[in-house]
Amino acid sequence: MVNEKRPLEKHVGELLSGFIDGELTQQQRQWVTLHCDECDECRQDLARLQALRERIGNARLSEVGEDQWRENMNDPIVQSSRSIGWLLIIAGMLVIAGIGLFAFIFGSDLSIGEKLLMIAVYGGLASLFFSVLRQRLIERKTDKYKDVEI
Amino acid sequence: MKNNDMRQQLVQLGNGAHAMATQILGNTDDAADAVHDVFAKVLRKPHVYNADKGPFTPWFLRVVRNHCIDLIRRRHPGGVDVETLSDPGPGPQTSLEIAQRDQALQLALTKLPDLQRQIIVLRDYMDLSYAEIASVLNIAQGTVMSRLHRARMALKEELDRHG
Repeated sequence: MVNEKRPLEKHVGELLSGFIDGELTQQQRQWVTLHCDECDECRQDLARLQALRERIGNARLSEVGEDQWRENMNDPIVQSSRSIGWLLIIAGMLVIAGIGLFAFIFGSDLSIGEKLLMIAVYGGLASLFFSVLRQRLIERKTDKYKDVEI
Repeated sequence: MKNNDMRQQLVQLGNGAHAMATQILGNTDDAADAVHDVFAKVLRKPHVYNADKGPFTPWFLRVVRNHCIDLIRRRHPGGVDVETLSDPGPGPQTSLEIAQRDQALQLALTKLPDLQRQIIVLRDYMDLSYAEIASVLNIAQGTVMSRLHRARMALKEELDRHG
């Protein structure tokens, strides 16, 4: 009955796309199946279209990773205000540290030996702190499980 | 939709949106910027999305598409017919970045009209249904199949011609 409505000489055309996409009615699917059994041209077109669809589906049309989308998702205003905040805190701490160091070297009554000893102790602590901080920052950057929520 | 759910969905849609934006803007960097802009807009005003009016994916892709068209219009203030916009082709950096197997495909896509490129990406790369494609492209659902078929045939011809 279907064949009476749609003779074989009339190719199925766009229905091939609907067929591979699963967007046809049952009657249309039957018609495409019957037609492709008889028509070499449409059968070849169907195979080519399926191969093309698979090729596009497997292609990498975007090289951007999910992590990059996640990182860039923060609001730019939040990001910039956070950067400014950190900048101000670090600048303030550096100024305070500079004033403290100046007062310690030129203003205190300690001898040069005692001053050098103090500088060595605090310098060592600062060096250890920055070493641990650097290691943590590197780990944080390369840790692929950092976004896993527990 | 909760903010965290929306973020998760956006991350998953990022690559597909980027692929579609690349087809419209013809440049992967501009496309990435456009998608980031839309991410920021959507997260700043998440209430703009109304779940009663349809699923999130086509809505978001429509926003990305409209944003890309706005960017093109700003580049060409004299007016551009986005239906027939011809693509400048991938830049040299793009050609180097993509794998050789996909390079021919990408190149063939650039030879197609703008709407054909988008419809192929939406269906074959992002796996959207015809109803969702119609919603994203703002076209009648009944025309999706014929448009998609023409686009696929044109792409097939391009690939046959150039590999």
